[in-house]
Amino acid sequence: MNSADRPRRRPTNSRRAAREGRVPVAETRPPVPSAKGAVEGKRYGTRLRDSTLTFTFDGVRYAARAGDTAAAALLAAGVSLFGRSVKARRPRGVFTAGPEEPCALLTVGQSPLVIPNVPATTLVLHAGMVLRSQNRWPSLRFDFASLLQVGGSLFTAGFYYKTFFWPTWRVFEPIIRHLAGLGEAPGACALSPPAVEHLSCDVLVVGSGPAGVTAALAAARAGAIVVVCEREPVCGGELEFEDSIVDGMPGYQWLARSLLELRTLGARLLCNTTVVAEAGDTVIAHTEPDGLPGDNTVYRIRAGRVLSAVGALEQPIAFIGNDLPGVMLLGAAERYAALYGVRPRGPVVLFGNHHRLYAAALRLRGLGANIVAIVDTRVDGELLKPEPTAAVALAQVAAAEGRDAAVALLRACGIACYQGHTLHAAHGWRGIRQVRVAPVDAPHAAFTIDCQSLLVSGGWVPQRGLPNASITGAAAGQVDLASLMTPAYDAGLLAAAALGFTVSAHTAPEGTGDPLPVVVPYLRSPAAAAEEKRQFIDLQNDVTVADLRVAIAEGFSHIEHVKRYTTLGIGTEQGRTSNTLGAGILAELRGLEPQQAQTSRARPPLAPMTLNSIAGQRTGAAFRVSRHTPLHDWHAAHGGVLDPMGLWLRPRYYRANGRDAGSAAVVEAARVRATGGIADCSTLGKIEIVGPDAAAFLDEIFLTRASALKVGRARYMVQLREDGLVLDDGLLLRVDEQRFLATTSSSHGLEVLSHLEHHLASAPGATRATTLPTDSRGCGLSITDVTDSWAVIAVAGPSSRPTLQGLLPTVALDRLSHMAFIDTEYAGHTVRVLRAGFSGELAFELYCPPVLAAVLWQALLEAGLAPYGIDALDILRVEKGYLTTAEINGQVTPLDLGMQAMVGQGNACIGQTLLARPAFHEEHRPCLVGLQAADGRAAFLAGAQIALSAGGTRSLGYVTSSVFSPTLDRWVGLALVARNHTSLGTTLWARDPLRGGDTAVCVVSPVHVDPEGLRMKGLP
Amino acid sequence: MTQLACPFCGPRPLEEFLFRKTMPNAGDSAYARTYLRVDHGTHSEEQWQHSGGCRVWLRVVRNPSTGAVASMTVEGSAYELR
Amino acid sequence: MKFSSRRYSAWSLLRARFAGAGYWRPLWSGRTLQTAYDVVVVGAGGHGLATAYHLARDHGLRRVAVLDKGLVGYGNVGRNTTIVRSNYLLPENHYFYEDALRRYETLSRDLNYNVMYSPRGVVDIALSDDDLPVLARRGNALRMAGIDAELLDVAALERFVPALAPRRQRRFQIAGALLQRRGGTVRHDAVAWGYARAAAALGVDIIEHCEVTGVHTQGGSATAVETTHGAVQAGRIVFATAGHTGLVGRMLGVPLPIETHLLQAMVTEPIKPLLDTVLVYVGPGHAESYVSQSDRGGIVMGGHLDGFPSYTREGRWHRLEDVVQASVELLPQLGGLKLLRHWAGTNDMTMDGSPLMDRVRYDNVFLNAGWCYGGFKSIPASGAAMARFVASGTAPDLIRAFGLSRFATGHLLDEPGYGPYPVRL
Repeated sequence: MNSADRPRRRPTNSRRAAREGRVPVAETRPPVPSAKGAVEGKRYGTRLRDSTLTFTFDGVRYAARAGDTAAAALLAAGVSLFGRSVKARRPRGVFTAGPEEPCALLTVGQSPLVIPNVPATTLVLHAGMVLRSQNRWPSLRFDFASLLQVGGSLFTAGFYYKTFFWPTWRVFEPIIRHLAGLGEAPGACALSPPAVEHLSCDVLVVGSGPAGVTAALAAARAGAIVVVCEREPVCGGELEFEDSIVDGMPGYQWLARSLLELRTLGARLLCNTTVVAEAGDTVIAHTEPDGLPGDNTVYRIRAGRVLSAVGALEQPIAFIGNDLPGVMLLGAAERYAALYGVRPRGPVVLFGNHHRLYAAALRLRGLGANIVAIVDTRVDGELLKPEPTAAVALAQVAAAEGRDAAVALLRACGIACYQGHTLHAAHGWRGIRQVRVAPVDAPHAAFTIDCQSLLVSGGWVPQRGLPNASITGAAAGQVDLASLMTPAYDAGLLAAAALGFTVSAHTAPEGTGDPLPVVVPYLRSPAAAAEEKRQFIDLQNDVTVADLRVAIAEGFSHIEHVKRYTTLGIGTEQGRTSNTLGAGILAELRGLEPQQAQTSRARPPLAPMTLNSIAGQRTGAAFRVSRHTPLHDWHAAHGGVLDPMGLWLRPRYYRANGRDAGSAAVVEAARVRATGGIADCSTLGKIEIVGPDAAAFLDEIFLTRASALKVGRARYMVQLREDGLVLDDGLLLRVDEQRFLATTSSSHGLEVLSHLEHHLASAPGATRATTLPTDSRGCGLSITDVTDSWAVIAVAGPSSRPTLQGLLPTVALDRLSHMAFIDTEYAGHTVRVLRAGFSGELAFELYCPPVLAAVLWQALLEAGLAPYGIDALDILRVEKGYLTTAEINGQVTPLDLGMQAMVGQGNACIGQTLLARPAFHEEHRPCLVGLQAADGRAAFLAGAQIALSAGGTRSLGYVTSSVFSPTLDRWVGLALVARNHTSLGTTLWARDPLRGGDTAVCVVSPVHVDPEGLRMKGLP
Repeated sequence: MTQLACPFCGPRPLEEFLFRKTMPNAGDSAYARTYLRVDHGTHSEEQWQHSGGCRVWLRVVRNPSTGAVASMTVEGSAYELR
Repeated sequence: MKFSSRRYSAWSLLRARFAGAGYWRPLWSGRTLQTAYDVVVVGAGGHGLATAYHLARDHGLRRVAVLDKGLVGYGNVGRNTTIVRSNYLLPENHYFYEDALRRYETLSRDLNYNVMYSPRGVVDIALSDDDLPVLARRGNALRMAGIDAELLDVAALERFVPALAPRRQRRFQIAGALLQRRGGTVRHDAVAWGYARAAAALGVDIIEHCEVTGVHTQGGSATAVETTHGAVQAGRIVFATAGHTGLVGRMLGVPLPIETHLLQAMVTEPIKPLLDTVLVYVGPGHAESYVSQSDRGGIVMGGHLDGFPSYTREGRWHRLEDVVQASVELLPQLGGLKLLRHWAGTNDMTMDGSPLMDRVRYDNVFLNAGWCYGGFKSIPASGAAMARFVASGTAPDLIRAFGLSRFATGHLLDEPGYGPYPVRL
């Protein structure tokens, strides 16, 4: 490398250059008269803007023009080494000019806020950007791990399946993991959620190259509402720079005019927008401005028709050393020249299998590139196929005077044309220095050409598009302007016509550009077996021809097996530069015809998509909905520690009562038993069942008969699933003959609602007495979720009745018996007063409209009652042996819970039949018991297992709930224990090896406190 | 399949619906109804609820190999909607 | 074609370095289908191949064939999130999965094929103090059975998974976790390939692209399978076609307690090591994700079922969003990474969430099915136990609970208590 080629590494120079507004290192750029300059009549640098900026790459400051991509700016600065490969740690440069880049991936930003694996080819630079190369240590130029590759040929496909298992993989894994991976793992992410926009249109056109714009024009002119998604920052595709004439004007002028017309017709042109997936009839697209996650937008587009005009991908050719920095796809080099004014470093050799090489050579030469040779694999006969006219000088010459004249013209320019030749190898260390070329039919007659750039083109394959879209343009195989415009226009018209639009009288534009390339398939140049390990197919994963040979030898010859075994095509570019080549070479190695090549199944999404964009708005606090009770704000403002219960937030305890949950809850629970307290129970599920059939219907739902319930009374009810296990429990209130209110546990509300509705729909009127149709579905009842219509405040404790009586003087509370309720008024709203509780105390539940909740709550506070939280509620209910989801966990039958009497009533409800299965009646089925520490002091925790002895290995059951009981001054619990070990007084062991050991426990009644229920009855 | 056409609400995204079970067609006992399934591969009769909408229960006949909906009736109702 | 795969070692790699690709031999391919076998195993996935391997290795059966309508390892064994663990609640399940995990620990050496068992730990995250007793119940059950389990408080979790930053403000605050250190990941394809290679080396014929279309029977026994390559006599038949068992049931004329559902998995671009464990996150509202990082560096994620029966293998975008949302909630630093691929497997979902291993309809037809979420992690145990079952005719104790009759008798194995529904409401 001579000194002129070396990037300037003196930051001061760069900074001065930046101040002066010039590109500091310009030897690979032509003189720049203005942003959109012209040399010899050619446009170039069209993406560049006049201002300049600086950025750093591996700590060195560089200057760039606004609009530059990282790849363009670094190439312009003479940088050719961009990173190292994963497996072989080989030096790698820039291979493409788009998102299909396999090699030049950068880490953007500073730890911990980094974005790894950003293709330098799509990253548009911003001032001050910090970029780093990947997969190298300590530096890009000298990588320690690359030394390991001296024996690199050991690491053929699947080598890690064959070794590293002695003594164990875990010994090697950390090293392998650190060598693998690509960019730095981000330590944090400061991205805000994307905007999410829903679009609706008639025709969605994906891609805005010549075909896309033409099709969009046709549809828009017919009156269709059109949306165009373009993944590049600007529309136009090849029209942006190709030498072309459309409708008598330069292609870029026609493009500008057409885009203006589209906008005038109401079309929406979305640049930087990649179509990612199809979700039914919705297309998911994703905007990531400047190629970096940031101000992202997710579009969900509903379109009448989708047209895919996503173009074609240029294909590489495999030869020895085809991964060296300096080897680049031809089309990429043209883009760098045209869009960013970066010409390939000279001397330049072109290598390919079609005649667009010649036009490209002249174009690049026009921008000052030093083209020295063209190597064309086609032999004479293949070259003489007719070539259509084109605007390009060369093509005109070729058409008028024949191929030899074209070659003569190139030779006159000093460009050697080697036809019927192939390129065997590229040589160099950190960059290409020399290529070895030989006639196709005489490999021994090889000669070398010195060069610094090698531009390769192996033809094109259509890009993958949405599965259900119609395809047009290069994606449909029409890779020249002249032949694609009419079909593309027709495709646009067809889409509009199919949606009922009248097709207008416009005609398709006519274009001429580069001639249709005559491609003779050529996948790889010949190589000795030992050299095949340097013929790269997948540049990112270092998959070589030799790897395919190993795979085939081991029987992995199907492409799906090859993909998994060799990692072919599973890189960040989703195999865009490797899948087709790999499939073709695989077929060749297996001795199959090229058309027999299998392609692997492409996995969605169509393009990589940022997780933050997929997550959309549902991140952070908006991750899942938060359900608040009507008293939420009060709890939050008064030291309530809010804890999730499903989607609900409930106060566990109040900070004023203790430093932690345990001590506060004990204080709160003791206070309820001593005097009284109030609790917010609004999260209880509430379902109203109304209609003439309601009682009969509920008889089928509940284990015991609802129809036996009297108006104004409530009852504890249990419902079973169809398999006979307990679904949920709660109170059922009969409001009048045809109106019931059922409460459910907080977490089961929706499930129970669905269960009721399902039964109503599945078995309408099965056994019901009346079948008066009350709605269109023929049902004599309606089921309504009224959870949010009622706030519920529990008022519990000895002082509950006098306090409440003070607030509700008109109700004779002393005559309200246990499980009776009455509706009254408070502050102009209905309040339903139910005498029941979950604490075993004299207690009431107040059902009121949500607007009244805070008023009522405040009045109760002022009357002297203090709030208690869910943890205190839990203490109170465990002391009384009441059940929650800790016991009703989907694994127990009503018999397990001691509900033999309820089952014994023989009500023919859901689940009774399957409850009769023998397993549910075996002696080791669980049985609900109470537990207390045998010594009266020790703690035992919910989740402990029950065993016969300390250290016992056979589980007899488990502790479902345990609390410290302030009433009994000891730990008490509930447990489900094998029935044959539950006689009262039995000593068992609560085994809790996870949390510190075993506790001897004694089986007692589940009702630890006040077994006679005297307190509940309000007796002393 | 990413939408179902609710007879009351029109075509709605699938996430508004709740699949409950495949209809057994394997016998009339409670055991068979609860546990057994006959898999036809291309024909599946199912119960769905429009739980995120009008909460109607639907009987949907679908092809699980393609997602195509062959017919849909309101569960428990006599008339077929489509 | 030369057969009998080379013995693998660093030495073999060195020899191949000088001998070239021709040094290597096919792992399993190149066999021709015979007209009769002692045992025909249908399905060349992990379970089928492991069963065949153990039939040949442990029971000396030499005439064993594995038939598959597609490729070796192209079903769920190659589509899962590669997690192995034995931290199940119910004894029937945890003893069985523990047997599998123990076999996984030595599988690479047993098969002479590196399946990359990585005991990096499986962390079940508690999202409220109410979750902790539920995890403790499971962990204590495991410890009593001699299986490793630890309950981590927030501080311990922070030390074990620094990337998780468990104290960070979240919609659902992390309260602790249950850790099984011996749980972790195994390279999924390698399990299929390793078993296929080992089985082939013992003489098992593995025939790809050979679909079984029917069963010939006589009296109460099956005599042969009808295939796309003609009829094959079979002394015993094993169906190990999870994901398509419903169709096998139909072929045999037996209704089964199985629905076929889709389960998605997905992977991001590779990055340097970020996460050296497996995180399992189950929150309300289908906020469900299990996250790990593959040895190549990609973040692998999975979540809840798509939610309805399907054979399409095309996952719903909506569910993918659920999984990504939960993963980003758990590890916000993933937000800037890109999703590269997502895919779906078809899962046999049984009516209690536990597997089925039993005779079905005929005395010599065996069913290995209903793997729900546990198919991959059970392969070594399932293979050994099924082989013993098939060879001896008696179900080993380890799998006796997984019979078909349990639904009729009520001996259900419902780990989470969701009831007879494959999809939780």
